[in-house]
Amino acid sequence: MSHYVLQAEDVAIHYGGVKAVDGVSLTLTQGQIHGLIGPNGAGKSTVIDAITGRRRLTRGKVSLGGQDMSELGPTERRLRGLSRSFQRTSIFGQMKVRQQVELATHKMGVVDSEADADAVLQELELMHLADVTAEDLGYGEQRRLDLALALVGQPSVLLLDEPMAGLSVKESHDLARHLKALTSRRKVSVLLVEHDMDVVFGISDVVTVFELGRVIASGEPAVVRADPRVREAYLGSAA
Amino acid sequence: MKNQPLSLVTLVALAAGVAVASFVSSGTLLSLLTQAVIYALFASGVGLLLRQNGMVSFGHALFFGSSGYGLGILLQLKLMPAEAAILVTLAGLALAAFVIGLVIVRVPGVAFGMLTLAIGQMAFLTASRSRGLTGGADGMNIDWPSTLFGVAQSQLFKPGNMFLLCWVTLVVVLLALTLLLRSRFGSITEAVRDNEERARFIGIRTLVPRATVYALSGVVTGLAGLLSALNTGFVSPENLHWSLSGVALMMVVVGGPKALWGPALGAIVYFLFKDILGDLANHWMAIFGVALISVIVFSPTGLAGLLGRLFQGRPQRSVPAADAARPVVATGTAH
Repeated sequence: MSHYVLQAEDVAIHYGGVKAVDGVSLTLTQGQIHGLIGPNGAGKSTVIDAITGRRRLTRGKVSLGGQDMSELGPTERRLRGLSRSFQRTSIFGQMKVRQQVELATHKMGVVDSEADADAVLQELELMHLADVTAEDLGYGEQRRLDLALALVGQPSVLLLDEPMAGLSVKESHDLARHLKALTSRRKVSVLLVEHDMDVVFGISDVVTVFELGRVIASGEPAVVRADPRVREAYLGSAA
Repeated sequence: MKNQPLSLVTLVALAAGVAVASFVSSGTLLSLLTQAVIYALFASGVGLLLRQNGMVSFGHALFFGSSGYGLGILLQLKLMPAEAAILVTLAGLALAAFVIGLVIVRVPGVAFGMLTLAIGQMAFLTASRSRGLTGGADGMNIDWPSTLFGVAQSQLFKPGNMFLLCWVTLVVVLLALTLLLRSRFGSITEAVRDNEERARFIGIRTLVPRATVYALSGVVTGLAGLLSALNTGFVSPENLHWSLSGVALMMVVVGGPKALWGPALGAIVYFLFKDILGDLANHWMAIFGVALISVIVFSPTGLAGLLGRLFQGRPQRSVPAADAARPVVATGTAH
């Protein structure tokens, strides 16, 4: 049996003649943070969509804990432990914070859904906002709520699509801190798409670089940062 | 504790109905109020769909007219007692609405509205042209038995009793919906309405809840159709026509769909307008149209929203200026 929590093999998403993602393979081991970087349009979000079942694979295979999930829909994948956040904040605007987190824990089959909701709210410092309607939250708080919805039900893999987008430097660092702590505490593996290089190289165990739908480099952060192809394609001379 | 105010409101509402039925002696006024209450139930069905699914139906008269026709045909065929026919009609309507819902709630926005319009108009044309079964464009009389649920027809058809029956039905339906929407089902449908994609990614299978809401709204509207058939003893293709769906939608907009009782309030206001302005002008709808535009512009949440703000006020959480300038909630589309 595979020791990988998540394994994407030879994943391709084509739109007619356009190859948004072509032949991408990725793996995640338990508790690992795997950063995905690359210029806009490189196919990072499409890979997340492919892994979570939001887009149908043209080719390839996605396995979770060794089980093939390529034919399952997003809801079934989520119920089996594959969770995600979105590039744009994706919460339930007109529901109270606790109401939506508790609903999520209930739907994930957690026996004591109230207790699990409370635990997640505590971890993400949202407990004091539990009775606030989500649309009245500040943007940073909405991003944390988004993360809370993705975290309930003890997922084994979390795919985060630019979770720091639109946050201030302080908010980004706070969220990165939360993320690192949550990963080790909850033993969840994270696939992180992010443009904030400080965050990606600061908290990732492995970094993969995309260009034009293909992987051009993958490995430990320091090695990837020093890779001349990566510097040329994405990081530039500032790296 | 949360149910105490609800019980109180329900008791007050029921008592108000009894008071009106007892103290209003004018048969004409009672008849007008009965009609208003029947339409309040109709509008509540349309409003439920908008409130819980975020979907606008232009064809809900389908359920209003179908229930009358269904019952009329069952009574005409003398297949079962009227009481059983009522239950069979509602059960059949619920099933049909659920199946239709499974197909059409997948379609978003305007296309959904057009589908409801198409299905409603198909039913209208079918009823208009099936002269042998439905009486065609002339409509059909409902052959009510001499007693219904042990109540003599002569008693049931007294204006005060008919009003009370309709009023109690409305109150009970709104109470049942309130309790249902406070349950987990309410949270699920709210989540699906707010952000269907995110709902899928917290483990909700979204199709069945949406279809269930559609079926529920159809049944509420069908119940209004049954009361109308009982009140008038008659059903015609006009009960299926899209213009009736449009009127119900106007009631929802005027009353406001956010509160469950909003559409019912809109229906009452509509009938008051109709009665008062109808005496003053032939084209009272034009005046009502101005009122409708005013409500949409000045109180998009309808009269219920306006009353809610006047009597309760919504506690606002102050959002830091820096946060307020940023984008707010989106619907989870990532590219």
